[in-house]
Amino acid sequence: MQVPDGIALDGVGKTFAGRGKVVEALRDVTLSCPSGSFTAIIGPSGCGKSTVMRIALGLESADAGQVRIAGAPPLAAARDGVTGVAFQDAALLPWRTVRRNVEVPLEVLRQPLRANAAKVQAMIELVGLKGYENALPGELSGGMRQRVAIARALVTHPKVLFMDEPFGALDQILRRQMNLELQRIWAETGSTAFLVTHGIDEAVFLADRVVVMHANPGRIVEVIDIPFARPRAPELFSDPAFHAVCDHIAKVLHGG
Amino acid sequence: MTLRLTRRGFLGTAAAAAANPLLPRSALAATPLTMQAAWINDAEFAGYFLAMDEGYYAAEGLDLGYLSGGPDVIPESTIIAGRADLALTTPDTTIKAIAEQGAPFKIIGAQYQKNPIGIVSLVSNPIAEPRDLIGKTLAVPPVNVISVNAMLKLNGIDPSQVNIVPYAYDPTPLIKGEIDASLDFTTNVPYTIGQQGVEATSFLLYDFGFTIYNDTVVVTEEVLAEKRDLLIAWLRASRKGWEENFKDPAAWPPKWADSHFKGTGRTIDNEVFFNTAQQPLIESPSGIFAMTGEDIEKNLSALGEVGIVGSHDMFDTSLLDAL
Amino acid sequence: MAAEASRWSGLRNAAILLLLWEIVGRLDLVAGGALPGLTEILHRLWIDRADYPLHIWATLYASGLGFVIGNLVGIAAGVIFALFPAALRVFRGVNIAVFALPPIAIAPILVLTLSGMAPRVTLAAMGVYFVTMTATVIGITQADSRARDLIRAYGGGRWDVLRLVQLRGAVPAILAGLRVAAPNAVLGAILAEFGGGGRWGLGTYLLGSLGRGEPDRLWGIGLVATVIAGLSYAGFALLSRRMLGASRAVTLNAAVPEAAPAKLSPVPRLLLGLAAIAMPFLLWWGFIRLTGVPDLISKTPWGVIDYLFLGRSAESAQARLLAALAETLPITFVGMLAGLGFAFLLAISSRLFPRAIAAFMPVALITQTMPLVALTPLLVLILGRGTTLTLWVTISVTFFPAFVTLAQGLALVPRSAEELPRAYGASRWTEIRMVTIPASLPYLFAATRLTVPRALLGVMIAEWLATGKGLGNLLNQSRGFLDYGMIWSVAAVSVALSVLFYQIVVVIERRVLRRVGMSSAE
Repeated sequence: MQVPDGIALDGVGKTFAGRGKVVEALRDVTLSCPSGSFTAIIGPSGCGKSTVMRIALGLESADAGQVRIAGAPPLAAARDGVTGVAFQDAALLPWRTVRRNVEVPLEVLRQPLRANAAKVQAMIELVGLKGYENALPGELSGGMRQRVAIARALVTHPKVLFMDEPFGALDQILRRQMNLELQRIWAETGSTAFLVTHGIDEAVFLADRVVVMHANPGRIVEVIDIPFARPRAPELFSDPAFHAVCDHIAKVLHGG
Repeated sequence: MTLRLTRRGFLGTAAAAAANPLLPRSALAATPLTMQAAWINDAEFAGYFLAMDEGYYAAEGLDLGYLSGGPDVIPESTIIAGRADLALTTPDTTIKAIAEQGAPFKIIGAQYQKNPIGIVSLVSNPIAEPRDLIGKTLAVPPVNVISVNAMLKLNGIDPSQVNIVPYAYDPTPLIKGEIDASLDFTTNVPYTIGQQGVEATSFLLYDFGFTIYNDTVVVTEEVLAEKRDLLIAWLRASRKGWEENFKDPAAWPPKWADSHFKGTGRTIDNEVFFNTAQQPLIESPSGIFAMTGEDIEKNLSALGEVGIVGSHDMFDTSLLDAL
Repeated sequence: MAAEASRWSGLRNAAILLLLWEIVGRLDLVAGGALPGLTEILHRLWIDRADYPLHIWATLYASGLGFVIGNLVGIAAGVIFALFPAALRVFRGVNIAVFALPPIAIAPILVLTLSGMAPRVTLAAMGVYFVTMTATVIGITQADSRARDLIRAYGGGRWDVLRLVQLRGAVPAILAGLRVAAPNAVLGAILAEFGGGGRWGLGTYLLGSLGRGEPDRLWGIGLVATVIAGLSYAGFALLSRRMLGASRAVTLNAAVPEAAPAKLSPVPRLLLGLAAIAMPFLLWWGFIRLTGVPDLISKTPWGVIDYLFLGRSAESAQARLLAALAETLPITFVGMLAGLGFAFLLAISSRLFPRAIAAFMPVALITQTMPLVALTPLLVLILGRGTTLTLWVTISVTFFPAFVTLAQGLALVPRSAEELPRAYGASRWTEIRMVTIPASLPYLFAATRLTVPRALLGVMIAEWLATGKGLGNLLNQSRGFLDYGMIWSVAAVSVALSVLFYQIVVVIERRVLRRVGMSSAE
């Protein structure tokens, strides 16, 4: 039996009706991410990369084309607990402790909390927040909050993990640390990962493939394979080959 | 305009009427009857408090419910709504409502033979008769403007010659001289003013032609038909209460310091003054609540002067006759 | 440090003010002793202490029950309105009417149609409903959109979003609403007690005490009412401060707000609009049918139309009503403008002289919680019974909510925007003129919306208790005449006018704000 792709987009199109004019947010977006792969999507503001992710999550519907998440329509996949998601910033519920925040997806999916307590604890430990289970988000640093969001995204053992600029609000140093940790965690879970980002170096460091998008209309202009072996060490950031790839992506981004 | 009683009111009265003739009064469990008073608890209602406390109503087979009044409470409304069986009202409003709106009321008794409402002023700036009001400022509760206009007219004074302002139940403006006189119960306010170290004088509207009762006992025609016996019982017990009260007007108010008069904001001395002052206005040679043909005629003619056209059949003296 | 210093200077100013009050009161400087010294009032409170417990208990009971009922209804309605915007449109007329209705016109109606504690509880609940309902709608609709997406991304439905995110997220907004609502409940209960003929309650005590001509007692009752209202305000302020810490989003929501729902086509829009207008009348009619009070005393909408236009006395009724309106309306407008102007001056001054205003605030608060039925007879001694008094009463009921709204608006002006003129050497006043005032325009409109119905309330209270003119007087005279048609007409007309004024302000507000590219402040 053939394993379906983690994410399969086929000819996806989306238009928004604005004030008196129609904006074509996506045109003919076709992309397949094999199961267990790591795909990063990069592009200027307004190119529709977040829309791609929202469609894949079932938060928006596509006007044209087909979307399959692990072989199922997005909403069905979401209800089956196939997907995990971490949004821009942490988007934690400020009145819930770390543990209770990690439990949110379980509650939505109507999974018993007590039976999953060990899993929740394991996720908290995986992201290195042991000892902070009962802390409120307001008491945590930005990096720690982001780790809670990652733990929350992973708690359902998703086959497909979506991340929308999860480290967008962090400074450069913290961001690199989180990139390393994300690589480690992803390797441990073996899920299909889909990362929306602004950072070229982040995309190149983490992904197997980087998808570059342009705006007006939002479309994919190039898919670049990243050849570096895993696990990738921090030294990679200063490797000339790494910079060559980054430069190439920057050129594509700027319409080269 | 039509009047519809509530279903609850109707069923209640029907049940009471059905039960009543079957049993002798003594064997009857106390039957509920509710009265609506005209104001908050003060000596104005001393007779009823006494009759309640001394068991006069219970002895008549009545379980009396007592509702206090207040500025927003229109006693007539309470009986129309069926929340009370009888109400203490001012006859001018009641008769006007019967005459002009076809309200189905009957007056079955009168607590005050002489309306205690009068013009109160300070001895230092006395208003001794209606003429003195010309050019002066008189505070009148808006509900009583009708009475003042009547009295002025009866004395040949154009109401526009008197500056009438609202009276907010507080005598301070009179004491401070902001107004020259106010319309209030003469049985009450002079005492309050005296307490402030100022001497007050007053005259009754009654003594200057506005010859009406006050605290008339009013029922709807329907209640009159259904609960006639209960109403007679109430009149009998209440009359006994008032008679007992007036044997020594100073004796009873102190006993109610911790019951009916508790926390009213008024003093017991004030109530004693009130109780003493109202005795001559309530007592009648024909008995408490009496409505003689002559007095009814006086009421009708006084009200006629201000365009309120009443008639004798608005008064039902047969219950008093049965006492 | 600075906060510490300003707290001390605030205390010092308050102490100076209290001392001034004491001296003025002791020397009988105001209206021959109508304003007693604070210690005289406290002394009197001590003498009367045995009277208070049962009255306070009755007031607490009625206002507490009204508070609970009003809030339950308000929160439930808020949730429904937030989930189904169409319901919000249908109930728009009802909501504005509840917000705008002058309690003094409604109290007699409630006393006519309900019995026992019900009028007090209802009036208290009505004072609470609107504030809480609005806070709930705002709290729910403004919930963190990212958290909402998170729930939906796991396949969660509307109910999950409500349960996990919106309800809890709305708690701070609701608590802020409760804080404002609590004193409203107390004042509503006291007003109904005053008129409603019960045995206990601060309002009843006030009525009994008015006849004694002893200002220190009246001030004492007012002070107790103020303390109850103030404590309830403070209690919820404390609670909301504790909850707020854990509820404020820890990161800034950078997500683009959802596009406004698709515009309705004209026909459904017209239908919703008609439903919104019909709804208050339907509720009015239903209320009367439910209470089962006979037609003679309780008028349905049709009954009022019949009375005003078709009945035998329609002509005279119209004439009296129009004459009353002619007396009431002009002064209402003037009073509203004066109240707004005063609030605006105060708000601007609070930026220029924060300390002086901070010391004035406790006094301002007292004017808001002191029952006007107690204060007005005393104000008469100072101001007489003319236009001045009406204006003062109107200003005193209007300025405070307007001031709070304006001050809030001024405080929200970004510091950087204010500092820009200063960087070019502008004076504090130039800065306020160029940045602060224009930036607070939406709040000026919000304040106006708040002020309109209260201005009518203020004028009617003054008319009832002091000047003997206009709608307030007509209402009371009608009681003496058992003119139920007029009582209901005055109530209906005063509510309708309030709604109309409110709506006019809303229309002007939309036009003006759209032209300057601002959106309205809630």
